[in-house]
Amino acid sequence: MATLRAGWRIQTKVISALMTRELITRFGRENIGFLWMMVEPLLFAVLVGLMWTILRITEHNINVIAFVVTGYIPLTMFRSAVGRSVKAFTTNSSLLYHRHIKIVDFILVRFAIEMIGGMMAYIFIGAILIGLGILPVPADILYLILGWLLYCLFTFSVCLVLAPASEMSEVLEKFVPVTTYVMIPVSGTFTMMSWLPQKVREVLYWSPPVNAMEMMRYGVFGNRVTPYFDATVPLVVSMVLLPIGLTMCRRVRRTLVVE
Amino acid sequence: MIRCENLCKSYPMGHGRKRVLEGVNFEVMPGEHIGVLGRNGAGKTTLIKLIGAVEMPTSGRVICDMRVSWPLGFAGGFQGSLTGYDNARFIARIYDRNYADIREFVEDFTELGRQLKMPVKTYSSGMRARLAFALSLAIEFECYLIDEVILVGDQNFHRKCHYELFEKRGDRALILASHNAEVIREFCNRTIVLNGGKTTAYDDIDEGLAVYNTL
Repeated sequence: MATLRAGWRIQTKVISALMTRELITRFGRENIGFLWMMVEPLLFAVLVGLMWTILRITEHNINVIAFVVTGYIPLTMFRSAVGRSVKAFTTNSSLLYHRHIKIVDFILVRFAIEMIGGMMAYIFIGAILIGLGILPVPADILYLILGWLLYCLFTFSVCLVLAPASEMSEVLEKFVPVTTYVMIPVSGTFTMMSWLPQKVREVLYWSPPVNAMEMMRYGVFGNRVTPYFDATVPLVVSMVLLPIGLTMCRRVRRTLVVE
Repeated sequence: MIRCENLCKSYPMGHGRKRVLEGVNFEVMPGEHIGVLGRNGAGKTTLIKLIGAVEMPTSGRVICDMRVSWPLGFAGGFQGSLTGYDNARFIARIYDRNYADIREFVEDFTELGRQLKMPVKTYSSGMRARLAFALSLAIEFECYLIDEVILVGDQNFHRKCHYELFEKRGDRALILASHNAEVIREFCNRTIVLNGGKTTAYDDIDEGLAVYNTL
């Protein structure tokens, strides 16, 4: 029990040290980089929102900018977390000289930064858009938080599988950016289930991000949208991916060549 | 104590595998200073990495109940884009030490002055060596793993290392990879000769060096 507590203490120290280090190396000492993480989704959402408004694509009773923002922030989080998990072990390998640092820490830290950045972006953009009257005050904050957590859990479990997989195969590394684009239609970012025909809905029911996204949208827009979600889908998929990812990490660690 | 049991390590190379270590067995007791002798590519660095748990053995195992340092060499252990101070802070945190103490020791031992505020990637190899030694000495390990190439410092640095490692910390174990007879004579009291993936231990330094010279 004492060793377990000591181990926990060391691990939390390691993770916080790694977080600080990652923040410094990524964003520098001036926090402009971290600010950019929040401004970028805002800019994108406003531009897409304006385009859609001009093209009169929208026919629903929610604001386009609000709709795009609520979809794009989680998607950005997913894409950058996945992108940064690729080859995470190789790029951090000089840290493996310190035996307390485990390779899962690298994934955890990189994911945590994206998750925190995404949350801050949500709060920052949300505050601005609520102030401007574009975004409603969240109808049911509980659904928003639960949906976000499920979305994050799914993202993390994908990262945990992708990171070791990218060390095993060079090809995969090249495919990741394309795949994250291709999966936009099945991520629920720019559509709601209720807009789609029954047939498509039955297929998208199996997509973890769609379910989490519908939950978040319901949390924000409340009864103005008709959500279709089942929290067990993202939960079960993540619970299946997590042990697979951990096993793969263990295997990759055994053969990892550290310079 | 550190015990290597049937340690094997191979790396994929082309379609086959390059076997670097093929069944290494030896023990290190507290206070022992072991010189690992071997030609270039004999597997000295690989052996040190396995003992330091930087890489994992293909088969066999390392049993270890001492606090072992990370392998002190030019590569690894540091983050080049961070400053000397940032690296010291990072290492203090992951080894759960007080940063103020470590910082004081590092400033004193390295004599790097303002250079500690510069990114480590701008350091010369001698400066890196100073920083690496300072940090690992400040953390107080029970066994130090040293790649000989890092002992490139000037006389002053040599004297300091000697004092800190042998006079102040004579009870610590040391594993030093080298192909330099003088370094081995200066720092070690036992040798292990690494050849063809196997090791042979010699309690007499001169005997070990004689065997090494015939390789």
